Amino acid sequence: MLRRNFLKHCRNAGLGFAVPLGWSSLVRSQESTSHAEGYPGPYYVVFNASGGWDTTYLMDPKGVDGINRLYQEGDIQTEGQHRFAPTAKQVQKGMSNEDFFRTYGQELRVFNGLDLSVNNHTPCARYMATGKLDSLAYPTFPALVAACRGASAPLAFLTFGNYSATGNLVPMSRVPYLQSLNLLARADSVEGIDQHPYHDPFVSDRIEKALEEQFESRVSEVRLPRVERSQSMLYAAQLNSKALKRVVPFIPKESAKERLAQQADIALAAFKAGVCVSANLSIGQFDSHNNNDTDQMNLIPEFLSGIDYLLKKAEELQIRDQLVVIIQSEMGRTPNYNNGNGKDHWSIGSIMFLGKGITGNCVLGATDAQQNLIPVNPQTLNLDRETGIRVRPEHLHLALRQLSGIQDHAFSQQFPLGVVPVEQLSNVWH
Amino acid sequence: MGENCMLHRVPPAIRSLVLAAFWIGLTVGSDHTWAGDLEGEARQAVPACAFTNQYFEEQVWAKVGERTCIRCHTASGDASESGLLLMNPADPRGLDSSWMDRNREAFRRVASAKEGDQFRLLLKVTGGLEHGGGQVLKPDSTGYRILERYVKHTNGLAVEPVAEPVTDLSEAPFFDGVAMISPGRLVRRLSLSLCGRLPSGEELAALKARGPDALDGILDQMMKEEAFYTRLKEGFNDIFLTLGIEDNAETILSYDHFETTRQWTEKHDLNHVPEADRQKARWALADVYRQSLLREPLELIAYIVRNERPFTELATADYIMVSPYSARGYGIFEELKGQFQNVDDPQEYIPAKLNALKSREGKTQESATGLYPHAGFLSMFHYLHRYPSTETNRNRLRARMFYQHFLGIDIMQLAPRTSDASAVAAKFKVPTMEAQDCVVCHKTIDPVAGIFQDFNFEGNLGPRKEGWYTDMFGAGFEGEAMPALERWRAPQWLGERVARDPRFPIAMVEHVYSLMMGRKVLQAPDDIDSPTFPARRKAYWAQRRMIEGVASQFKDAGFNLKMVFKALAQTDFYRADGHLAATVGPQRRAELDDLGIVRLLAPEQLERKLQAIFGKPWGRLNDELRILYGGIDSQTVTERNADPSGAMGAIQRIMANDMACLHVAKDFRLPANQRTLFPGIEPTVVPGDGMSDLLIRKALVDMHQRLLGSECTATDPEVERSFLLFTGIVGEAKSRGNFEPKETYFCGGREEFRADDPHYTLRAWRAVVTYLLRQQDFLYE
Repeated sequence: MLRRNFLKHCRNAGLGFAVPLGWSSLVRSQESTSHAEGYPGPYYVVFNASGGWDTTYLMDPKGVDGINRLYQEGDIQTEGQHRFAPTAKQVQKGMSNEDFFRTYGQELRVFNGLDLSVNNHTPCARYMATGKLDSLAYPTFPALVAACRGASAPLAFLTFGNYSATGNLVPMSRVPYLQSLNLLARADSVEGIDQHPYHDPFVSDRIEKALEEQFESRVSEVRLPRVERSQSMLYAAQLNSKALKRVVPFIPKESAKERLAQQADIALAAFKAGVCVSANLSIGQFDSHNNNDTDQMNLIPEFLSGIDYLLKKAEELQIRDQLVVIIQSEMGRTPNYNNGNGKDHWSIGSIMFLGKGITGNCVLGATDAQQNLIPVNPQTLNLDRETGIRVRPEHLHLALRQLSGIQDHAFSQQFPLGVVPVEQLSNVWH
Repeated sequence: MGENCMLHRVPPAIRSLVLAAFWIGLTVGSDHTWAGDLEGEARQAVPACAFTNQYFEEQVWAKVGERTCIRCHTASGDASESGLLLMNPADPRGLDSSWMDRNREAFRRVASAKEGDQFRLLLKVTGGLEHGGGQVLKPDSTGYRILERYVKHTNGLAVEPVAEPVTDLSEAPFFDGVAMISPGRLVRRLSLSLCGRLPSGEELAALKARGPDALDGILDQMMKEEAFYTRLKEGFNDIFLTLGIEDNAETILSYDHFETTRQWTEKHDLNHVPEADRQKARWALADVYRQSLLREPLELIAYIVRNERPFTELATADYIMVSPYSARGYGIFEELKGQFQNVDDPQEYIPAKLNALKSREGKTQESATGLYPHAGFLSMFHYLHRYPSTETNRNRLRARMFYQHFLGIDIMQLAPRTSDASAVAAKFKVPTMEAQDCVVCHKTIDPVAGIFQDFNFEGNLGPRKEGWYTDMFGAGFEGEAMPALERWRAPQWLGERVARDPRFPIAMVEHVYSLMMGRKVLQAPDDIDSPTFPARRKAYWAQRRMIEGVASQFKDAGFNLKMVFKALAQTDFYRADGHLAATVGPQRRAELDDLGIVRLLAPEQLERKLQAIFGKPWGRLNDELRILYGGIDSQTVTERNADPSGAMGAIQRIMANDMACLHVAKDFRLPANQRTLFPGIEPTVVPGDGMSDLLIRKALVDMHQRLLGSECTATDPEVERSFLLFTGIVGEAKSRGNFEPKETYFCGGREEFRADDPHYTLRAWRAVVTYLLRQQDFLYE
């Protein structure tokens, strides 16, 4: 169906005015447009360390007052503007902080001292993912940007875990296995074998035309909003699924063994094929209430290794310059150890960014020696204990919306972040 | 006549205008100050007090009281001793019909109080006067402005003119103009949804003879079918997720108490199996045993419902369900084996009681009865194992899930923000008992966590060696401390209170609602600045009242869960099917936003529907495709996809292609009276003459009915479209003239046979089936 026809039908049916704001955007243009080869980027990736990482063993090192048992303040390493905890001696498997910051420090933009306001997993994960603490209705950033930038892509929003609410703006896609993409890409052939199509081509064309006509007739009927939405979603899902063919050339022959690498391979193939806008990549078990140091020293290197894998593979696929990478966790961990050598939940966290439109070698915000946040002047982004603000997820989400150029999109307007103008952060990315 | 009655005499449209005009141009202070452009009728019918009431209900209460103040200012809340005590309409405990009047009066009282020359209420909500809840409204927020105007008005001060949007919010009945599903389609919906089959001839006949009155009896029969219990267990696993245990299922039974029995399959006599196959047989036996053990909680639900026992047994049952296989794991098979009908059936479950557990060291669990103190799910190792604890979590996850599962309260849903959580944590030695920000939730959560104190991290009986934590609120429930003498039966003590709690029936109705509708009940709208806030709130409360009504019936029916299915099936929420009005305004549209089932079938449901229609399932929506198609694994993926992604769209195409490929030629190969899809037509019938076209149309009507549940005639546009598809394909094939006169190898019988298709009709029918299987009416409920 031509996009203009679809839009016309949606308008006639009242779609695009109430809740299904822009459901019409779900159907991919089949006309000759700049998107004819699929969504061209930028591609957004959120790496999530689920459970709560220990920021003092990564980008916000302390080494004082018993906060860290594995190093002292004098052991803290630097790379450009970055200060980071030394982990090379601890790493059994994965990537050390030393290697990570030396490889990516010039691209990395870090924010320390992020106020999560609460310290429970569920609300914190929701808050970090959406920028809104007290609502279940808000979409996560990757879902929002997928809806705004390329909802018609068949795998617009991929998720492998973490809080993944979509705000009903775009369907979420879960593709747990790489090889599944092969099957999905060849849906009209028996067992995915191109030489054995189910129908003769003219028959397939007639089926599609009948479905289109049926959809056209339905959108002109008076129906309940849910029926309208689902009809559009279903039609778009089936129509857009044909674009999955483009993924086939980019599916690696062998699956990676590491958890994040497996997810990254699927996301990268989907990005490269232009069928995906954003992906949530996640590994868990960071909730180190017992034996904090052992757990974090296993997981942080694994996590960094996954990021490194994605970036290197993206380089090979020549889409590295289109990536926007957000590296986060739902909370930090306490400045003290509990009786089980673990650390509990801490409502002050950190976040890292790199990629298109982001200037690296920069650290914003800070925590003090007791791991309490230091307020920030929203205009200068300098530390300002007297008149600064406590930077919270909504501030950074607004900045992310600005970075991705969607802050004025109707979907963003539908989910306002409520940051008053005087608290809006200036020049977050440069 | 009360004020509300007078208010209701005002036509809805005028009422909205009146409200808007009131805040646009009204200066409060005199007894009768009206907006100058009001109609005379309204001017005479609506006194100022009515405006006040309406403003209170729709602004103060709806946007501030109900969303903010109610969190603490209730009899059981954290601000129970404050000067503002409210009744929560969402909490059935102690609620009566005068709640709005009482809340209005409570607000009116505090609205007049002053601190110096400022109003206390306005100071408090912004965090002044040591407000226990801190700042709950910012001075520039909508909520604050509403409260400010209310306070000024109450105290006879001038109110700033503010433009309020005039809405088209109607006071017409909620379902006004909504079309309901026909009885025939309702029965199809229910039979497919609950039993995974098409409606029977008897059911349709009963419906024809007795109309909607037959529905109760039809549902009674449906709820006796085994398929209903399959669906019941599946639906409740979506909620409790007890199938999602990561370890091997036998680890549910502790090494300490079941050391010699929990791995009975390893020593089971398999000498009758040839030695070469013995190890594989043992592995298979272990798999069956694990499944049998894992399913016990869901079998308890099935048992309660099947036997129409009070569903409160979910928290009070003094027994568990065991199969011959799982009974061996507990070491009670020998004493029970006479009660099983078939000791080799791993899926036959009977109720059983465990004796007080005995540890490897010979210590027997404290028990006044000599029995393990069963309390439904609350004492089941499976449930406790599924929601494990840690040294720092201290059973709080279990307590949280208890509230969510049994009382319908998600503690983590709207976590209250603290001004500086890290500072709070640093300032107090025990923040969860001392810091107001933390105490709000922990005084509710921690006592319930204490109930489970005799269970270890994994959920097995195993009290903490150091004793239960003293830096937590003690074991209890909702302000009632659990007596020390009750500790040995703590889950039972809690279960008894659950069974009496008026929130329990509401939570259970909400569970069944999610099972039947495929989504959770509505949340109260939270964006008070949204123009559709009033409409969404109206929808929320319409649904809320329905849920509460069914919950009341459920309780009156002795907590028979079948009654909930029957009641929900007959509500307008379940039957809503369309809208009659040609145009719908934005407010009405927002009201109707969630109406109608319109549920994307889950992988399991889709397989059952395919089985019902084609006689066998597709069989590919299991395993790998199950997650791809939006299903769950009960562990890491626990929420079903509500909307189809492109990946799911591809699976739908594969399914439609494949099912048509597998069944069309095969069906035609059967004698006409044995066919499911094409009983009234042959492949030799080609379009072109009147009789043939009639036969084709009739076949299409039957297919639309069977596959889509459509009640259409041969001249229906939908049938016409299918007709044109069929005839168009046959015609084009003929005009091309060079097609293979046989069906393809893959769709024409493969090794079994090779179907002739000289007229291309088999392939055309296959295309029609493919087309129908891709439609919303097939893929959605």
